Amino acid sequence: MPPVAMQTTTVEEAKLGWKMVIPVILFATILILYPLTRGLLSSFQADRSLTGGRVKWVGLRNYSEVLQDPATRAAFLHSVQYTLTAVILEVALGLVIAVTLHRAFRGRGVILAILILPWALPSVVSGVLWRRIFDPDNGLLNDFLLRVHLINLPQVWLANEFWGRTFITVVHVWGVLPLICLIFLAGLQGIPEEVYNASAVDGAGPLRQFRFITFPLLKPAVSVALTVGTILSISIFDEIYVLNGTALNTRSIVMQVYTVTFKEADFAHGTALALIVAVITAAFATLYILSLRRAAA
Amino acid sequence: MRSIVLEEVVKVFPGGVIAVRDLSFEVADGEFVVMVGPSGCGKSTTLRMVAGLDEVTSGRIWINGRDVTNLPPRYRDIAMVFQNYALYAHMTVRDNMGFGLKMAKVPTAELDARVSEAAKVLDIVELLQRKPKQLSGGQRQRVAMGRALVRQPAAFLMDEPLSNLDAKLRVEMRGEITSLQRRIGTPSLYVTHDQTEAMTMGDRVAVLRDGVLEQLGTPTELYEMPANDFVASFIGSPAMNFLPGRLRLDADRQVVDLGPWEIGLSRRVLERKPGLAGFNGRAITVGIRPEDFGDGNLGAGQDVVTLPVTVLRSESSGSDVMAYVERGHPDGREKFAKPDNKSIIPIIARLDRRAHWSKGLAAWLSVDPDRLYFFDPETGLSV
Amino acid sequence: MKRAALLQVLQATLVTAIILWSLGPIIVGLLTSFSTETDVRSVPPIWVPPNPSLTAYQELFQGTGAASTIGGTTTQEGAFGRSVWNSVTLTTVSTIGILLVAICAAYAFTRLRFNGNKVFYWALLATMIIPVFTIVVTLFQLMASAHLIDTTVGISLVLIATQTPLATWQFHNQLRDLSPEPEQAALIDGCTRWQAFVRVVIPQMSSGIAAVSAILMLAVWGEFLIPLLLTSTLRSKPVTVLITEFIGKYTTNYPLLAAAGIIALLPPAIVVLVLNRRIRGMLSGAS
Repeated sequence: MPPVAMQTTTVEEAKLGWKMVIPVILFATILILYPLTRGLLSSFQADRSLTGGRVKWVGLRNYSEVLQDPATRAAFLHSVQYTLTAVILEVALGLVIAVTLHRAFRGRGVILAILILPWALPSVVSGVLWRRIFDPDNGLLNDFLLRVHLINLPQVWLANEFWGRTFITVVHVWGVLPLICLIFLAGLQGIPEEVYNASAVDGAGPLRQFRFITFPLLKPAVSVALTVGTILSISIFDEIYVLNGTALNTRSIVMQVYTVTFKEADFAHGTALALIVAVITAAFATLYILSLRRAAA
Repeated sequence: MRSIVLEEVVKVFPGGVIAVRDLSFEVADGEFVVMVGPSGCGKSTTLRMVAGLDEVTSGRIWINGRDVTNLPPRYRDIAMVFQNYALYAHMTVRDNMGFGLKMAKVPTAELDARVSEAAKVLDIVELLQRKPKQLSGGQRQRVAMGRALVRQPAAFLMDEPLSNLDAKLRVEMRGEITSLQRRIGTPSLYVTHDQTEAMTMGDRVAVLRDGVLEQLGTPTELYEMPANDFVASFIGSPAMNFLPGRLRLDADRQVVDLGPWEIGLSRRVLERKPGLAGFNGRAITVGIRPEDFGDGNLGAGQDVVTLPVTVLRSESSGSDVMAYVERGHPDGREKFAKPDNKSIIPIIARLDRRAHWSKGLAAWLSVDPDRLYFFDPETGLSV
Repeated sequence: MKRAALLQVLQATLVTAIILWSLGPIIVGLLTSFSTETDVRSVPPIWVPPNPSLTAYQELFQGTGAASTIGGTTTQEGAFGRSVWNSVTLTTVSTIGILLVAICAAYAFTRLRFNGNKVFYWALLATMIIPVFTIVVTLFQLMASAHLIDTTVGISLVLIATQTPLATWQFHNQLRDLSPEPEQAALIDGCTRWQAFVRVVIPQMSSGIAAVSAILMLAVWGEFLIPLLLTSTLRSKPVTVLITEFIGKYTTNYPLLAAAGIIALLPPAIVVLVLNRRIRGMLSGAS
């Protein structure tokens, strides 16, 4: 074996390459792929505690059982609702905010820092901050509504079927909106100023400029925003935990996984459900990567 | 009566920068006026004000007899071609060209007809279904022009539309633009930093410097009778040679003393430039264009003066030779007093391609005194 | 031009709305943290405390008294402080760990040629698609058998595994756009690949590294689900988990909760204010 100094550069490169890549591969294999496979396998087995420790293969029974659980179905519907509402709000508000903050003005840097703040906070903290607002006995919302006589009695908003989920969506959007705004801001930056000049000369006022120039050219950014928003909505957990715990009326699909796996200590069904959600999330994540490539083109 | 009129237009940017000062001129119906000048002279700013993309600080602008000074662009009935074409990337060529008409709510049938017609004129019919990113630079330029043509506006505005094309394409498009404009007859205001473009395309050329209109005239006027030394040096390539000198108009001889050179002035010259009399005995700047020099070695005709030079270097471009020379000959240099002890002023002369002028050669340049330009050294104004 | 003035008013209104919307809940939390429980419980509730007090913060770090309301929020002395410390160590250790692993991996994937370069890269990115709760049960069992439950190190390892793929992707994109010439010059000048990497490439990447670090710190500080499931005592519990224990079964000591929230949001707020531009640049170029 020739001394190191005499090895060809390609061999040296390859050896170094492997050495530098091993750590991440190890982490990914031991802490992600291995648990994933174990989880996958155990989702096809019956709960050990029921079989007395024996391994019993039951195929897709865990999956079908968990899907038939009414709580699971409710959680699915809730998540769909969360996702639809959140994403629509985020895209609509995000566009408005991005257009407002697009051109330079004094203090823009500070305003953008303030804009980012809600996103930077732990979502648990967001839940904590908003909790005082929604509290039934001492909350700002009830206080305000009582003062303007829109309601007569303090309401327990978060226990309500409709309002509970709505307000959780508000808290969630509060935290995600900054990211969406930044995605749109970047998209707007990609439209050269001259194109607006040309459209002004061609006869378009601000509204028509938005309709025919800004919006069509923002379509790639919109698809990025839609997929990011969807992925983040599917995994809503922290805010719900803080604001309403595992209550059924606000349960999201991830909250359901948590409830089944840990509160009900049903690992088998929990893992099965987790894998179902994982597949759905994976589908959207793939869409995200594809929409990014289109946006870059 | 279609025209563009600027009246005492001033533009001051926030921060106090005065970009355009009291600019007044007119573009008549059918006329092609080119604004030219170095970077920062205010030509693009002026164009943008005529377009309505920038606000006028003071002064007025008329298009087609209407005062448009405070109107947004879409009410001015203008069309504009931008330096980077500013095509709508998400629309096809056809939609790009038709956009302005769509905004004006022109009925579809007429819209399609006008787009097809403009496409034919510009020879881009096969490109109608494509998107801008599938087009070459030259093709995009044509689409940008098509978009302007289709509107049949009261005025055309063009902001350095050819700057991003390669040299050969630029020359081709120059001709196409001018012949197109001549056919249609819409008053056009064109901005460029390239004086060759200005001279070949413009019916009249406006030379701007630091926001001031230095001179407005036909290309010939600018070339033959520049108003000041700036215009004289800006127009013509390579630039005019400037030499400091002193005028000595005695009863028996009239010469301009340029240090190493002395050039006699005939009565005809003095008659044509009466202002020279006022400079008798005073310092004066003399301008000689490189193309007005000839190869003195080949002998001189009547009225032509030959001047001694030493060659610094020469460049042949195939069609002609650029000679960089020093005044005087090496042996006789001590005989001539250098006026201000300044360092040597290299003179550029454009000679016939057969000239073989190698470095160090002591040679002769011939010049017709009739072709001399004179400028006041303090004001720069032409005499 | 009346039009311009109208637009300006509109913009100013929208900007004000943005500020109120973004800062509103934070201000509410701040005010609450300076209130007393009586303020909060009064009817109607008092929003701006007439006598701002630091009681809540004191209780937070020194523990609430023995005489506390049944089923309400209590905290022991030093518990919160300990959790803050846990969060700080967790964030620091994890961020450094992720950076080390990700930068090396990204460099290898981008600039070095070796068998399986592309395959492993895409496989790594594919792991980003797997949501963490899918693997969390088995992770728990793994950690338990390695005696890593309830340790900061244990959680760090998990976070490194979950966050490195995204960080690697970011660094890969940055490296792609970075000029390879300084590195090549170093190689010609006699450096080994590794030396060139450390002395030339890493400095070249410094502003990108700063931006990614900021995002990582924010992400790790805010982690909830993983620590929730992998910690049990104050030995390793971070702030995000401990704060949820302040929500009582029946009543909640809001000033205490709010004070905890404010403390918990200070580090992220500081990171945002200091690294504002870099974060924005990184987030908006999300590709």
